[in-house]
Amino acid sequence: MLCKQDLETPTIKAMLNTYHASKLSSNQCGSSLVQTIDAPLPLVWSLIRRFEYPQGYKLFVKKCNLLDGDGGIGSVREVMITSGLPAGVSVERLDKLDDDKHVLKFSIIGGDHRLVNYSSTITLHEEEEEYGGKTVAIESYAVDVPAGSSGDDTCSFANTIIACNLRSLAKITEEKVCKVNQIKL
Amino acid sequence: MAGICCGVVGEAAETSSPIEPTSRPSARRSLDLLPLKYIAADVSVPPLENSRKRQRLDRRASPARECDNAVHSSKSKVVEVVPNYSSKSPTLDSTSPTVVEEYPRYGVTSVCGRRRDMEDAVSVRPSFCQETLSHDKKLGFHFFAVFDGHGCSHVATMCKERLHEIVKEEVHQAKENLEWESTMKKCFARMDEEVLRWSQNNETPSCRCELQTPHCDAVGSTAVVAVVTPEKIIVANCGDSRAVLCRNNVAVPLSDDHKPDRPDELLRIQVAGGRVIYWDGPRVLGVLAMSRAIGDNYLKPYVISEPEVTVTERSEEDECLILGSDGLWDTVQNDIACKVVRMCLNAQKPPSPPSSPRREMAVDCSDKACSNASILLTKLALVRQSSDNVSVVVVDLRRT
Repeated sequence: MLCKQDLETPTIKAMLNTYHASKLSSNQCGSSLVQTIDAPLPLVWSLIRRFEYPQGYKLFVKKCNLLDGDGGIGSVREVMITSGLPAGVSVERLDKLDDDKHVLKFSIIGGDHRLVNYSSTITLHEEEEEYGGKTVAIESYAVDVPAGSSGDDTCSFANTIIACNLRSLAKITEEKVCKVNQIKL
Repeated sequence: MAGICCGVVGEAAETSSPIEPTSRPSARRSLDLLPLKYIAADVSVPPLENSRKRQRLDRRASPARECDNAVHSSKSKVVEVVPNYSSKSPTLDSTSPTVVEEYPRYGVTSVCGRRRDMEDAVSVRPSFCQETLSHDKKLGFHFFAVFDGHGCSHVATMCKERLHEIVKEEVHQAKENLEWESTMKKCFARMDEEVLRWSQNNETPSCRCELQTPHCDAVGSTAVVAVVTPEKIIVANCGDSRAVLCRNNVAVPLSDDHKPDRPDELLRIQVAGGRVIYWDGPRVLGVLAMSRAIGDNYLKPYVISEPEVTVTERSEEDECLILGSDGLWDTVQNDIACKVVRMCLNAQKPPSPPSSPRREMAVDCSDKACSNASILLTKLALVRQSSDNVSVVVVDLRRT
């Protein structure tokens, strides 16, 4: 289920097939979200890859503690969620961090929320010049459908959170670029 | 423990038979009887001039003291709002046929409760706005409001600091053409715009939170506002805090909670292209448990800041007005809240007649009975396992 069909360029298709083709079990649902960002890929990646500092670009994070590791693969973080959301804490493990291919994978392994067996993949790539030449972030996930809920509702909830975070990522990095450009002028 | 909290040390010392503290009641029924103990304690106070003055001193101190008890009993952080906005009322023409309005008598309690952070805010502005009548007589409008923040506290804090000023400006601009519903809607829209403008600026936020732009997009607050004039009670509500009028022993809701599954709210959200998902209760897009709020820019246009406004003519039968956050109303029903407050008010001697305005001027606007009522309601909510911040404002509406 791709949210924005019109954005499916050849590179996006390739990235989806390579990194975002997750196999859903029978009681799971999942989706992919695409965000175009008018900022250099290294800048965007520098925010995504900081597993120990999700509040660098994510909304809804009040605080983050590393429970294990130093931010590398295998690290476990405890994310305190801001009030008003249907969650208080999320415990997450970093499964993959590829600085060359710009791929990050993490799983939610605990906490007080309804996202069970949640795993997520975030990739960055640069779009070809003929398609705008901008940075493209793709995040896909798979998660169990909670009892009493539906796949549609579960994806709608997860998509809302991820879309907010990706829009925030775009906004923050694009603003940084604007500031740098203002200094140059 | 709760029994101890109900007794004021100063008063206990003056009674010939101090009430023994009861063991912590486990049954809900016995909790409903707590106000009776308070009444007994109050009735036994001798009506001496000196003891009356002492009570007035206790009046200022007792909220803080009892909140300390609240800390011990509920392991909660306490934020006591002590308003400093007393203002002298002008001398009124004794022959005026208009009802003479004294200072508002009110009490405020606002506690963190079992939540990690305090994100509620309370704003009380007595005589914040004055209506000029003929013969240069002025009648005070009084502003009371509860703001229940989520995501962080800075939207609620901004509302506390600014909304009464916005209302004052709009009321003055309207002059004789004052129409409360449109005025309050305009005020809430202006407040929401100020919040949005603040979060869009890249200036250093005055808020202590670690959040930065654009994280402020995901911060918001309820707002339940009551403007009390000599003739009317105007309530404007946005979100799931609530205002309840106690009139002739009956609880009259002056606001209707904006929950996402309220049929008309559900329809409005769907028409706007949004969804209400049941994820730990009904939530807009599965995220927010209320359908209207100040702020929360990321959820517009599904979550709007437009208030629902009620205008109620005041009546001789009016006893009190209660404003509270959902930390109160989730566990304390309207009619029970009214009973608690009525008992506290009835335990108090009738208010001073208007013939002694000088004495009233010397007294802090917080009335003891109202303060005790707000404290009792807060304790009741906490004992009934409220899991949120609790904020309560009690206003005595009885005519003097």
